[in-house]
Amino acid sequence: MRQGVIEENAGGMWLWLLQRLTAVVLIVGLAVHIVATHVLNLGELSYDNVAGRLAMPLFVVVDFALLGAGIFHALNGLRMVLLDYGFSGRSKTMLSWGLFVFGVAAFGYGAWALWPWLTA
Amino acid sequence: MPEATFRIKRHNPEKLDDQNGTGDDRYDDFTVPYESSLTVLEGLFYIQENLDGSLSFRYCCRAAVCGSCAMYINGTYRLACQTNVRHLDDGPITVEPMPHMPVVKDLVCDMTDFFAKYETVMPHIIRNSAPPEKEIIQSPEDRKKLDMPVDCILCGSCYSSCPSVWGEGNYLGPAALLKAYRFEVDSRDEARKERLPRFDNERGSYRCHTITNCVEACPKELNPTEAIQWLKGAAVRRRLLGRAK
Repeated sequence: MRQGVIEENAGGMWLWLLQRLTAVVLIVGLAVHIVATHVLNLGELSYDNVAGRLAMPLFVVVDFALLGAGIFHALNGLRMVLLDYGFSGRSKTMLSWGLFVFGVAAFGYGAWALWPWLTA
Repeated sequence: MPEATFRIKRHNPEKLDDQNGTGDDRYDDFTVPYESSLTVLEGLFYIQENLDGSLSFRYCCRAAVCGSCAMYINGTYRLACQTNVRHLDDGPITVEPMPHMPVVKDLVCDMTDFFAKYETVMPHIIRNSAPPEKEIIQSPEDRKKLDMPVDCILCGSCYSSCPSVWGEGNYLGPAALLKAYRFEVDSRDEARKERLPRFDNERGSYRCHTITNCVEACPKELNPTEAIQWLKGAAVRRRLLGRAK
């Protein structure tokens, strides 16, 4: 196989490792979410009660972690699927950057929604 | 004498320029006298010697160690020499070349890419230290790690069955990566930076999506998928944790 192919496709370890780590964050985070909202009785289901919980530092950290992990895991997974459809060289670089910009924008939008609880 | 019907997929490269440009692709039926010990490869010999001398197929050792006669027999990857006709279902025996591979003629696949990728992973022991006076010692425990991967006979069944290979022509494929694993787990191998970048890239181990078609296809019952997952972990151990191996 020509040497250029190896160099063009170098790397991949970090994306693979982060995909695994974000998977753990998502599984644990979703488990905690389901247990906390459906099994444990965390008080009355009212706006003030939920808002108070969302403003707790632990929940702010968890929410941002879930937001970042979810976006990365979804877009990196999408990239792995799309790479099977013949992206290479320039088109591969454009795909990666396109998804990166979209991911940053999605994180910004999510952070905007979480911002009131951070400053509350 | 009982008989067995062989239904063989034919492809003639000299007829690629004819009307439909398919190389005259068709299935031919042949009737072969059946004995209880008849293998598919022996059936093919009978056809070539007595019925149609133009039938092309690869073979060499006839003992399931050379990997030349891997074919798609009754919809399963098998070695023709190892496949006893009496173990197949009743009815015609369908013999096709390995799917998703370019066909040279009849049952002969073009293995050029397959072996180019095999060579990419440096399939040999790499030594950086001075050679010892006698042999390089290996403990029985270290030798045991090689039991699975050394059985690979490079027949190409896993490579032909892998959807990641179908979609991406530059993906190394399960056979080459299993071979990389075979030398990476070998205690005598001292490769540091030589082999790692050749499999640790997006056309190497990370293109495996653990579909495990290769595990199902392998006539030697090996596990390339597991070997590839080990390679992914090995890259982390070596690049991030600084392990030598």
